[in-house]
Amino acid sequence: MEFKDYYSALGVDPKAGEDEIRKAYRRLARKYHPDVSKEADAETRMREVNEAWDVLGDKDKRAAYDALAERVKSGGGTGTGGFQPPPGWDEGFEFHRAQGGPADHADFSEFFSSLFGAAERRSASRRNFKARGEDHHAAIEVPLEFALTGGEREIQLRALELDEQGQPQWVARTLRVNIPRGVHPGQYIRLAGQGLPGHGGEPPGDLYLEVRIAPHPLYMVDGRDLLMTLPVTPSEAALGAEVEVPLPGGGTGAVRVPPNARPGLKLRLKDRGPGGHLYLVLELALPPADSDAARAAYEQLARATTGFDPRRRLHAGAGAAA
Amino acid sequence: MSHPERSTTTVTVTHCTVVGAADPLAAAELARACGATLDWVAELAAAGIVEAPAGRPVQEWRFGSAELRRALETRRLQREFDVGLDAAALILDLQQELRRLRAALAQHG
Repeated sequence: MEFKDYYSALGVDPKAGEDEIRKAYRRLARKYHPDVSKEADAETRMREVNEAWDVLGDKDKRAAYDALAERVKSGGGTGTGGFQPPPGWDEGFEFHRAQGGPADHADFSEFFSSLFGAAERRSASRRNFKARGEDHHAAIEVPLEFALTGGEREIQLRALELDEQGQPQWVARTLRVNIPRGVHPGQYIRLAGQGLPGHGGEPPGDLYLEVRIAPHPLYMVDGRDLLMTLPVTPSEAALGAEVEVPLPGGGTGAVRVPPNARPGLKLRLKDRGPGGHLYLVLELALPPADSDAARAAYEQLARATTGFDPRRRLHAGAGAAA
Repeated sequence: MSHPERSTTTVTVTHCTVVGAADPLAAAELARACGATLDWVAELAAAGIVEAPAGRPVQEWRFGSAELRRALETRRLQREFDVGLDAAALILDLQQELRRLRAALAQHG
């Protein structure tokens, strides 16, 4: 496996002090924060930054890492298979899980898990540490139709397993989960006992799956509800109409557009959302004036509605300002 | 992610629940899910980040998915930025407003 350069991940010099490293971490955590980041690979970069901070922000881990880096620099430890941790590399160190997070380690690299992840567990068992396993977090993305009907879904996870010697290793695992119908984004599904193994014989933790719904070409998910734009012609909006719309989960339904419906009007189809409703948002679609008949019809409409000024609000505003 | 597969086992999970009114999390479970302590959950309630029934002991508190999300996000903010809980509460409210506005924007094309 590849030896990870944590100093360059944080953009600091290997001789940097604690404060400088912390500042660099904070700066990058802000840069890659999901709500504001403009970077395309923000999530991946944030993982790398968190992993580098986990090691460099901890005195013991940083010291052990620096010693390993020295060996790599002087040519030891790397063979044809890439970097291999030399036996006893963590002797004399006590590694603890970093405070304050769920099992982020599942997202960390193989380099981290085979070195520090494994060493953390060894430290814990040396201290005869007894505790229930930590909870593990993952996200699952399902298509909208699936969220509406529920059903079985397979997900791939990295799970920590202990071999016969109690040595931890991350393995790929497939879980088959029965997703209940009507789950909506923001909900968590809890799978008891599917988290990290316990310490000192205690039971494993739980697995929490955050539900995400894949983007759909027609419907937009808004919590428990669905939204869809419903294009109607001016005639349909003004005079009212019965229109057919595709329903989530298949089939079509008839919807009544009331007369004098304005654009933006929301029509509700009850209980067609994942735990909520389907809202149709009216949008005007103009028939093109590309024939004599169509142009004549538009002109006649204009003549019949001369009293209607769509820009009255704009004139009133200008008058008030003057 | 480039992780060589060592072994794959398929596990059929028979027991899963949706965190919500029917299957809420107790305060101790919320704490564990966030890698934190019961005291920390009490602090979240005091800061208004999660709601707790007034005057009831912490063992009786029950939480749904929305609170779990806010608690996890608070933990993340504390870890990444070392913010105080009052600032975290403001950040959470802003994030919620941001999501709402983005959803409204997407809806109107």
